[in-house]
Amino acid sequence: MKEVAYYPGCSLKDTAKGFEDSAIQVSSDLGVRLKEIDRWNCCGTVYSLTDDNLMKQLGPIRNMIRARDEGFDQLYTLCSMCDNTLKRSNYLIQNDDDKRDKINNFMDQENDYSGEIEVKHYLQLLRDELGWERVREQVSNPLEGINVAPYYGCMLTRPKEIGLADPHNPTVFDELIESLGGTPVDFPYESECCGSYNTVDNQEVVLEKTRTITGGATRSGADLIITACPLCQFNLDTRQAELLKATPNHDPVPVIYFTQLMAVAFDRPRVNKFEEHAIDPRKVLKIENKVASKR
Amino acid sequence: MRTGKLKSNEEPKEDPYPESMRESIKKVEQTREERIGKEVDRMNPDEREQVLNKYHPDYREEGMRGLDAGPNQGDQMPLELADLLEAYPAVDPSEVDLTKVDYEVDVLVIGGGGAGTVAALWAIKEGIDPSDILIATKLRHGDANSMMAQGGIQAADREVDSPKAHFLDIVGGGHFANKPELARALAKDAPGILKWHEDLGVMYDKNEDGSMKTLHGGGTSRKRLHSAKDYTGMELMRAIRDEARNQEINVEEFSPAVELLTDSDGTVTGALLYNMETEQYYVVRAKSIVMATGGFGRLHIQEFPTTNHYGATADGLVMSYRAGANLLDMDSVQYHPTGAAFPEQIVGLLVTEKVRGSGAIPVNRDGEAFVFNLEPRDVEAGALIRECYGRDMGVETPTGMKGVWLDTPMIDMIHGEGTFEENLAYIYRLYTRFGIDPTEDPLLVFPTLHYQNGGIEIDDEGRTAVEGLFAGGEVEGGVHGKNRLMGNSLLDYNVFGKRAGISAAKRAKETELGDLTLEHARRYIEELEKAGVDEERRSPMLIPEYRGEEALSRSIDII
Amino acid sequence: MNEKTEVETVEIFIMGKRYEVPKGLTIMKAMEYSGYQYVRGVGCRGGFCGACATIYRLEGDYKLHTDLACQTTVQDGMYLTQLPFTPAGREQYDLEELEVDNNPLLDLYPELARCVSCNTCSKSCPQDLEVMDFVNEAIRGNIKEVAELSFDCIQCGLCAARCPAEIPHHHVAQLARRIYGRYQAPESEHLEKRVKEIANGQFDDELEELVNLPKEELEERYENREIEE
Repeated sequence: MKEVAYYPGCSLKDTAKGFEDSAIQVSSDLGVRLKEIDRWNCCGTVYSLTDDNLMKQLGPIRNMIRARDEGFDQLYTLCSMCDNTLKRSNYLIQNDDDKRDKINNFMDQENDYSGEIEVKHYLQLLRDELGWERVREQVSNPLEGINVAPYYGCMLTRPKEIGLADPHNPTVFDELIESLGGTPVDFPYESECCGSYNTVDNQEVVLEKTRTITGGATRSGADLIITACPLCQFNLDTRQAELLKATPNHDPVPVIYFTQLMAVAFDRPRVNKFEEHAIDPRKVLKIENKVASKR
Repeated sequence: MRTGKLKSNEEPKEDPYPESMRESIKKVEQTREERIGKEVDRMNPDEREQVLNKYHPDYREEGMRGLDAGPNQGDQMPLELADLLEAYPAVDPSEVDLTKVDYEVDVLVIGGGGAGTVAALWAIKEGIDPSDILIATKLRHGDANSMMAQGGIQAADREVDSPKAHFLDIVGGGHFANKPELARALAKDAPGILKWHEDLGVMYDKNEDGSMKTLHGGGTSRKRLHSAKDYTGMELMRAIRDEARNQEINVEEFSPAVELLTDSDGTVTGALLYNMETEQYYVVRAKSIVMATGGFGRLHIQEFPTTNHYGATADGLVMSYRAGANLLDMDSVQYHPTGAAFPEQIVGLLVTEKVRGSGAIPVNRDGEAFVFNLEPRDVEAGALIRECYGRDMGVETPTGMKGVWLDTPMIDMIHGEGTFEENLAYIYRLYTRFGIDPTEDPLLVFPTLHYQNGGIEIDDEGRTAVEGLFAGGEVEGGVHGKNRLMGNSLLDYNVFGKRAGISAAKRAKETELGDLTLEHARRYIEELEKAGVDEERRSPMLIPEYRGEEALSRSIDII
Repeated sequence: MNEKTEVETVEIFIMGKRYEVPKGLTIMKAMEYSGYQYVRGVGCRGGFCGACATIYRLEGDYKLHTDLACQTTVQDGMYLTQLPFTPAGREQYDLEELEVDNNPLLDLYPELARCVSCNTCSKSCPQDLEVMDFVNEAIRGNIKEVAELSFDCIQCGLCAARCPAEIPHHHVAQLARRIYGRYQAPESEHLEKRVKEIANGQFDDELEELVNLPKEELEERYENREIEE
């Protein structure tokens, strides 16, 4: 079994447990072991745009150091925010010698780091290393007739230096959905921001965004939305439940992680913890009464 | 495995041991293999007595004198203690204004270590409101010997064990001088105390099924020693202190009691506190008082170094004695067999008995085992002194101190690599700080002043002979007779801290606040004058004198 | 010292003032040798209580070092002082009422989320603990890991004093250890059983007999008692 270094990030150990569990399961089905690195810390959550405060770069960079010190040269992420932060800090250290030296100087308890780790998102593993054919081979419960809206949000594709797809016309989710036997729907808000951290103290913004994005998806004929971001999932799922209270005629649409969709297609629905979702996806995925898995 | 420690990338250091000591270590290494699995026989009663008589410091007459004043007139005590007991009050009774009262409380606890904090917590359980309790302490809350205990706590909680077996070990170890009802209380309460600790969230060392990991200690007939790595005292004290903070018990830090206050009947009705920082006095009026000031290691009896914390200066004994409390077994001092004898920076600090309990044995300079590794502490200490000074088989350090080797590399050889670092994290850290790796090299040890076996006489409810005054922990006597076994001091402060706290609370619920006078101090001054005591002598000591040359380690000249 | 030998000395600066002290003393003893008497900043003198947290600099070295005064040897050119106190906020809680499944660490100490993983805490720890690692475990709600990684914490507060995110690490860790001990560590059945037996008076008679035994008989019982191997 192929082994890759894996950085979970905090959300996958907490609110997005279904994301991690499903990823570990489908990886195993694909012959890949996600080896969680022994020591890791918070990615920093949001890439710091202040040019002169390098303190914020220490967290993300330390994770690359941990992976390197364990003997890896690549580090895989699932959470698109972690992916974004790690990649951008790595890009900084690879391209700015002054800042690299300053950071290494401060982290005098670690061996110097100059960007030797390649940070990759799990979608890159699927698309570039394993290939869609390999994914297709594992599908035992094809998602026939299910219309899936690919929701990329902000973090997966931008900025272009680190994005894993063309920010104006990303297709990686579409390719995945097709490989799983489902139908990707064309959807105008695929890269619209979900409102992000406004969810903490400015919920109105997030509610409005949720209305726009989920409404746009259903109008495009989607049965459900997939994402790679725990914050997007949280906002679009839980805030949609609140939206329903305020607007009873809102047409709810489930929001799940792309690995959960894979688990359904691989006939591993139970790892998904769908029971914890605000908008239950089991009906549209036709797995409501599915108890026993064939494997 | 993650050890909780940073990996250090330091370069190899020079040999921490001087050449003369390294020569001896080579001999220890040569005999190590064949010593594993072999035990020296336990001594019989006659041999034990011989070793004690000839080599234990308690049996050295020049170190003792009889008291001329107070309830224990005629009793022999170490000179250092006798001079403090027979000393004039540090505060002149005629210069104190007792009319302005700063605190009125139900229960005043004097001493913020283990016993005092436990007493306060159980007083609350007995119905006293936390705001009606005051803990007065000399240093910070929790700065106490309780924090320093390494090896563990005894409790007969396993199927093969019983409180009866524990009782026998207590009184046998104490040379049958214990007050039997106190030994019974200690043995019988022990499992309940551990259960209370579990409820407080103390992390005892356990097997995966939840059963306790236990070891033998010196003089135990069952594996009864429960531990939390070798930070047992710290783990208990910090959890207990944390709970006291949650209960919002008032604690006056850096404000030791310096004198008790009594009414015309001699009942204790309050205390005088001294704020060491502002040099102000506080008058406290209380319905009950729990004395929990701990021991006297910092008196450096017979010039011994000590394992004790900075504040262990017998203040509680002094105050209580003046108020009429009776003292028991004060001629008996515990010298822990294995104090650090090298390097100089840590001389006197404790190398826990758990090290021997885990299989390391003491050997002499030729690498020969000379004593069973788990005799009761006084016997083991006597045997170590005999080896160094009676048989001249000790190892001398560059500063002229003598000691024997404690062969610590045996532990990982017996139990597997990593055992030492995991279970004896403190000792490992203590020595590696100074360049010595106890899994590679043995440690040089010599007995160190560790525990006050005797103290204020109490009954099994924690009452002293003085009305209104209760005591728990190292300050009280009678529990351990002439020698305390390992793992019974943490237990003592819990059992008798609890009992004293409950009794103090009960009394507080039934009594009113009393009058405040210093009559007992005046009467004691008269006694001292009659006995012709040097007027310059004052007590309590509060803080030991280490300035100037005193800071250098003391020589040990015991034989 | 039994014999007076030529004592090698080092030059130190206590709060900026120069003193010469014998080589090989701890910081604590060196300050005492120089004439200072401690009231604060001293406790067990054995590396357990955390009272003697200290900071120092060395001549020609930009670093601010942290350590315990009772466990650190003085060096030539050391600039030192003693910290009387390290303030850090501690939250009140009721162990019995905590919602332990809902990351009470982050709930009581939301400032944990301010950690930027700069590792200053670990660097300042005189016990060489992986403080930053347990802070990260605390953020994720892994109470067992926090409890285990922080177990050797002596609560000196140096981490909290140095932390740019102003986290009181030692209080967070104390909370985690108590939650782990109370709710997550496996329960000890033999202990529970024995506590019940004692409450039922199961050992009262045999203890009463022993308490009243004459010394000679007690001695005999002791010498002949069975000893577990």
